[in-house]
Amino acid sequence: MSADAIDAAALVKSDRVHRRVYQDPAIFELEIERIFGRAWVYVGHVSQIPRDGDFVTTFIGREPVLFCRDSDGEVHVLRNRCPHRGAAVCNLPAGNTGRWFRCPYHGWTFQTDGRLHAVPVRNGYSPDFPLDPVEYGLAHVPRVAQYEGFTFASLAHDGAPFDLPPEMRACIDSMIERAPDKAIEVSGGVHKYQFRGNWKAQIENALDHYHPPFTHESTAADDGRQFVRRAGEPAGSPIVDRKARSRSRWDDAEAFAFSGGHGYEGPMPGAEAARGGEVFELYKAALLRSNPPARVEEILENELFHNAVFYPNMNLQLRALYVRVVRPVTVDFSEVNVYPIRLKGAPEEMFHSQIRFLNLTHAAASLIQTDDVEMFRRIEVGLRNEAPEWVLLARGLDSEHVHGSGLSCDGTGELAMRNQFKAWARYMVGEA
Amino acid sequence: MASSALNPAPLSAFDHLGPIEAFILHEAHLLDERRFTEWSELFTEDGYYWAPARAGQTSPLDEVSLFYDNRTAMATRLRRLGHPSIHSQIPPPTSVRLVSNLVIETHDHEMPACTVRSKFMMFEYRAGVPDGEQRIFGGTYRHRLVVVGSDYRIAWKQAVLANADGRFGALFTYF
Repeated sequence: MSADAIDAAALVKSDRVHRRVYQDPAIFELEIERIFGRAWVYVGHVSQIPRDGDFVTTFIGREPVLFCRDSDGEVHVLRNRCPHRGAAVCNLPAGNTGRWFRCPYHGWTFQTDGRLHAVPVRNGYSPDFPLDPVEYGLAHVPRVAQYEGFTFASLAHDGAPFDLPPEMRACIDSMIERAPDKAIEVSGGVHKYQFRGNWKAQIENALDHYHPPFTHESTAADDGRQFVRRAGEPAGSPIVDRKARSRSRWDDAEAFAFSGGHGYEGPMPGAEAARGGEVFELYKAALLRSNPPARVEEILENELFHNAVFYPNMNLQLRALYVRVVRPVTVDFSEVNVYPIRLKGAPEEMFHSQIRFLNLTHAAASLIQTDDVEMFRRIEVGLRNEAPEWVLLARGLDSEHVHGSGLSCDGTGELAMRNQFKAWARYMVGEA
Repeated sequence: MASSALNPAPLSAFDHLGPIEAFILHEAHLLDERRFTEWSELFTEDGYYWAPARAGQTSPLDEVSLFYDNRTAMATRLRRLGHPSIHSQIPPPTSVRLVSNLVIETHDHEMPACTVRSKFMMFEYRAGVPDGEQRIFGGTYRHRLVVVGSDYRIAWKQAVLANADGRFGALFTYF
């Protein structure tokens, strides 16, 4: 089916989406072109490339790129493709290239800002073939923008400017203010997992507070509480509702949705549980060195969000402190990276326990993701049925109300998914 | 305790592989049979299991791992493995571990303790709709064994996959 024959707007209704959005390879191709080929896609955080010559290899949609820092300290997003015969120049996940990138095939070298540096045995090119350093350098991804070091890039030369809603910027700000030095860094390796399923299953799941008591039932003890997920907490979150409740405890933390498909969920139930212990006290003392006491209490007691999704491919989690990046590979195969975030100035031991708990929650072998990816796979299998045609996203419609620049609803509502598909449809019909 | 039947040789025999090999094969067999509680009891109280997320990773503290479980985390993981609603284990996978190339890397007769290196291959199959999935993992084990009473106990076990830094679907059980 050609792109012109896909009526993307007809696949999305106010309370449901057509199964084809998860199943149809032609729709996936159109997503690659119109979402990952146009949107501001998350690439990386500048703390991953602290020194001149540092690079990280990553992808925007299916296109391999270099996220790198040049000899003057400037950050670039370059295409990982030699302008000569097309070989990928870098083959490592990350590293330091020194002063030049060098293509292994014919030895062309490039400055760390992408400009062509030298072509071996140049006499093979006539004097009228100028080998302009920019035209024949490593091509720049057309547009790059940052907020607090979080770097986004667009493969399109023109389109809407980078403009995160203020509420989404506040999510990033609230993560940074938890660092005693008011700075964060991506540090501590990366959890990598993959699943047989569509990329949207993961990005929707990050804001799905309806599923935990069921998908993650096996993580709860007899008292309905999950295992402890953060050092210093006396007990894990109560994730399972008592049968007598007419309303889920997960509703109490609201869902929030903003333009562009972005959104976040309020904190997990029980997040307010008092933390304590030696390491927590050290952390608190570190915060008190850079904040007035009342502010420290606010920071520790008010978690703004649990997961925040920066559509289409990134999510931050405040409690476990990570950035998760989703990569679409094919319509039914997706890859996910989870990078720990370190609060600078916080005690070393706190980072160690954060890493330890992140193994339990987000490793490929974790107690949480294993059941989520099982559900993503089940969706992929179940939706092979041609009927029913529609996937329901109606939950919480009645509780929707205006919040700031966007909307809010009860925590277990499917506002976030409806909002993601609103943005999806705009991209897919070429309006964004 | 299961290992007592193995009747470890006198301490001076840490350079004799026989009883050590029998213990390590027994340990792998318990995992194959999903006898997880018995398996976890092979570890000392402060013992741990570690599967790094890249070869050459020197510490589980400041870098993420595929697994890094002390006995508390093990108990949490094993309680979940026994839960009737653990969806990623319905149905549970079956697995076979082959362990070979055993070498005693270091031994300390004073402690007494030894570190044993071995190579492993693990075949795993999980049925599912519409198709099951089978996978092969391989890598290097290191067991730090101590003698407690008349039994060997595991002070730590490290499993470094040949593709430790690879990308995986859900990993269900210890290698």
